Amino acid sequence: MLQILIYGAVSSAIYAMLAVGFTLIFGVARILNLAHGSFYALGAYAAYVLTSLLGVPLFIAAPLAVLIVAGFGVVMERFLVRPLRSSQLAVLMITLAVSLAVEQALFITFGSEYRNVPSFVADKLSIGGVDISGQRLLALVAGVLVLLGLWLFIQRTRLGAAILAVSQDPEAAQYMGIPTNRIFSIVMAISAGTAALAGVLVSPFLTVQPTMGLLPMVKAFAIVIVGGLGSIPGSIIASLILGYSETIVAYLISTSWTELVSLVAVVVTLMIRPSGLLGRRAAF
Amino acid sequence: MPLLEVADLKVSYGKALAIESVSIRVEKGELIGVLGPNGAGKTTLLKAISRSIASQGTLNFKDASLHPIEPYNVVAKGICHCPEGRKLFSELSVLKNLQLGAYLRKNNADVEKDLERVFTLFPVLRERQWQQSSTLSGGEQQMVAIGRALMGRPELLLLDEPSVGIAPRLKGLIFDSIQQIRRDGTAILIVEQDATSTLRIADRVYVLEHGRTIREGTSAEIAGDKYIQQIYLGV
Repeated sequence: MLQILIYGAVSSAIYAMLAVGFTLIFGVARILNLAHGSFYALGAYAAYVLTSLLGVPLFIAAPLAVLIVAGFGVVMERFLVRPLRSSQLAVLMITLAVSLAVEQALFITFGSEYRNVPSFVADKLSIGGVDISGQRLLALVAGVLVLLGLWLFIQRTRLGAAILAVSQDPEAAQYMGIPTNRIFSIVMAISAGTAALAGVLVSPFLTVQPTMGLLPMVKAFAIVIVGGLGSIPGSIIASLILGYSETIVAYLISTSWTELVSLVAVVVTLMIRPSGLLGRRAAF
Repeated sequence: MPLLEVADLKVSYGKALAIESVSIRVEKGELIGVLGPNGAGKTTLLKAISRSIASQGTLNFKDASLHPIEPYNVVAKGICHCPEGRKLFSELSVLKNLQLGAYLRKNNADVEKDLERVFTLFPVLRERQWQQSSTLSGGEQQMVAIGRALMGRPELLLLDEPSVGIAPRLKGLIFDSIQQIRRDGTAILIVEQDATSTLRIADRVYVLEHGRTIREGTSAEIAGDKYIQQIYLGV
């Protein structure tokens, strides 16, 4: 029981880190970013290159990897997505193209074999008789802190208020003197950075290989549909639901059934409540 | 030197010409009205001035062209736009909406002072400051929109049809507050369909039809014009 509670929390935290960035860039800039999973994969590979190949100490490599991927996201938004922003479909296609390009680039550069990233924390901890690796616990703590920090940033700072303003009415935001394009860049950096952080944090205990971004992309999409496209609280609630349901299914039935959970959740949501738990409008 | 000088302005949406040739002038501290039917180009004119749409022709503010200015930099020049349909940040509180109006301003004490000014102008907003702005009535939302534009401390305030969709009782209040804002020294360019109220408060009035200025004059001159009386005042 306690095991489900702890492992479910770890999954939920990782999912939330992925989904919040995905929903944020949609909510603010109306970019449905199919390359979001690439940020996650690139985060893991950046951590691998920096630590295993270049010998950079982990605690420098991790933030550096996040920064590199955030920069990649900003460049992608500025030069590939922004010129196409008038068409949602074109945005969808260009981000899909980026995700395929990233995957191929990783294949060509690193091959298809699994790569290892050393653990940040080698120790195992025991909580109430449940053994859990320190690395998983770190992912949980980091996830909670990042989400909390993001919430405070958006609710309490001037820049956060500007982000909210742009998400609700970009034209009116411009009348206030808010530079909407700069806000898009900032939000893209946050979105790519949080996805990369998730990739960095899981890289020691999950496999690092070129297609690793696909499944998280599907999960982020599922979470955002269940939670409501554009709603941050919705995506956090949906992350918890999905993280725990998967953990429960893995324990009660088998791990091979877990991938089905998100698909069932999407189908049920689209049938019963197409706008998602906290969404304002139907996503599709 | 006029505060705002617009001469032979043209705006087109694709092939459709929204403004063919409009010329208007606003002096420091003046209250100028722009009248005209739907589709005359009134909203387009204000959007061109605040640079949210591209235009050709003379567009000078304090003797410097606005054309090279990025839309989000227009506020910093001293022009605040209170748009058609109010365009509030509907999920944010009244207070947050007002604070966002002062987004570019760094001096917090000054911002507080202006917030107080808005609350004095519209006392009901003080009571409702914590409320989500979408829960307010149409008139109250218009007050937030005007207040939000004032928080940018404009030298020129652009008002786009502030009386639309507002209960008659509140309409008088809104027009009174516009006069008060002018008395405090802010020049105002107001676009309206309500000719009677506009002629009551404006110093001078321009009349737009089909993207052209067809009349201009003092409120008294325009109010005395036969054509205007027939079409706009229903005399």
